[in-house]
Amino acid sequence: MDTAFQRLTLPAQVESVRKFQEFARNGAQSAGLKSEDMDMLDLVLEEILVNIARYAYEGGTGDVEVAYAAGAGALLVEITDRGASFNPLEAAPPDLALGLAERPIGGLGVLLVKQNVGSLRYRRDNGRNTLSFRFPGEQATKEAFF
Amino acid sequence: MNIEATQLEKAVLLKVSGRMDAENATEFDRACDAWIAQGAKHVIVDLNGLQYVSSMGLRSFLAAAQKLKSDSGSLILCGLRGLPRQVFEMTRLMSIFPVYDTAEQALAAL
Repeated sequence: MDTAFQRLTLPAQVESVRKFQEFARNGAQSAGLKSEDMDMLDLVLEEILVNIARYAYEGGTGDVEVAYAAGAGALLVEITDRGASFNPLEAAPPDLALGLAERPIGGLGVLLVKQNVGSLRYRRDNGRNTLSFRFPGEQATKEAFF
Repeated sequence: MNIEATQLEKAVLLKVSGRMDAENATEFDRACDAWIAQGAKHVIVDLNGLQYVSSMGLRSFLAAAQKLKSDSGSLILCGLRGLPRQVFEMTRLMSIFPVYDTAEQALAAL
């Protein structure tokens, strides 16, 4: 896999999500991803980036970087911010067995990320949160869940 | 995202198409709130034209359904396909909303 990363840095806000999605689609095309995977990649990016926009820089502003390396049929993606330390992989999973009245509103974004990427990892170093993953993650996800 | 509303005898039909994401999901909230304020009990949401939905959209569907249910109404989904259908299945929301293939079937069940 060619590990030369393409990088884009923008303000950590909801309005930046579509620009990051367009940016990553360039990589998805280079990697030869199927068109139905493109929307799923958009979804994964939105879920992660909206969380960062909401919680990383509480009471202030800051940037977020999306980097990708395109290989044959897959992308390696790294998303980095300099906000508060937060490992989304440690968040309690939502209870999917609850009925309509009891279902909490929210908490489904991280679940969707986990289900659709591979090799999902979080690290904190030098005041930065970095979430890295492989997309699509079918093989890795199967290994992780079964 | 585009929302086309039609008032029927037993329900309001909302045809939602395009992409429903963190930037625009609140438009759906506002549309539902407005119909609920006008006394709508049952809202049928036709998602046949929906290409994309994120967890922010799911949050909107859940919120609207909970409001309608608290007044003995319901939010009914139909036309789910593609990525939105996958997302509803992965989050097991298919089992907590009434889901039909078409708006006609949804209406017939009311």
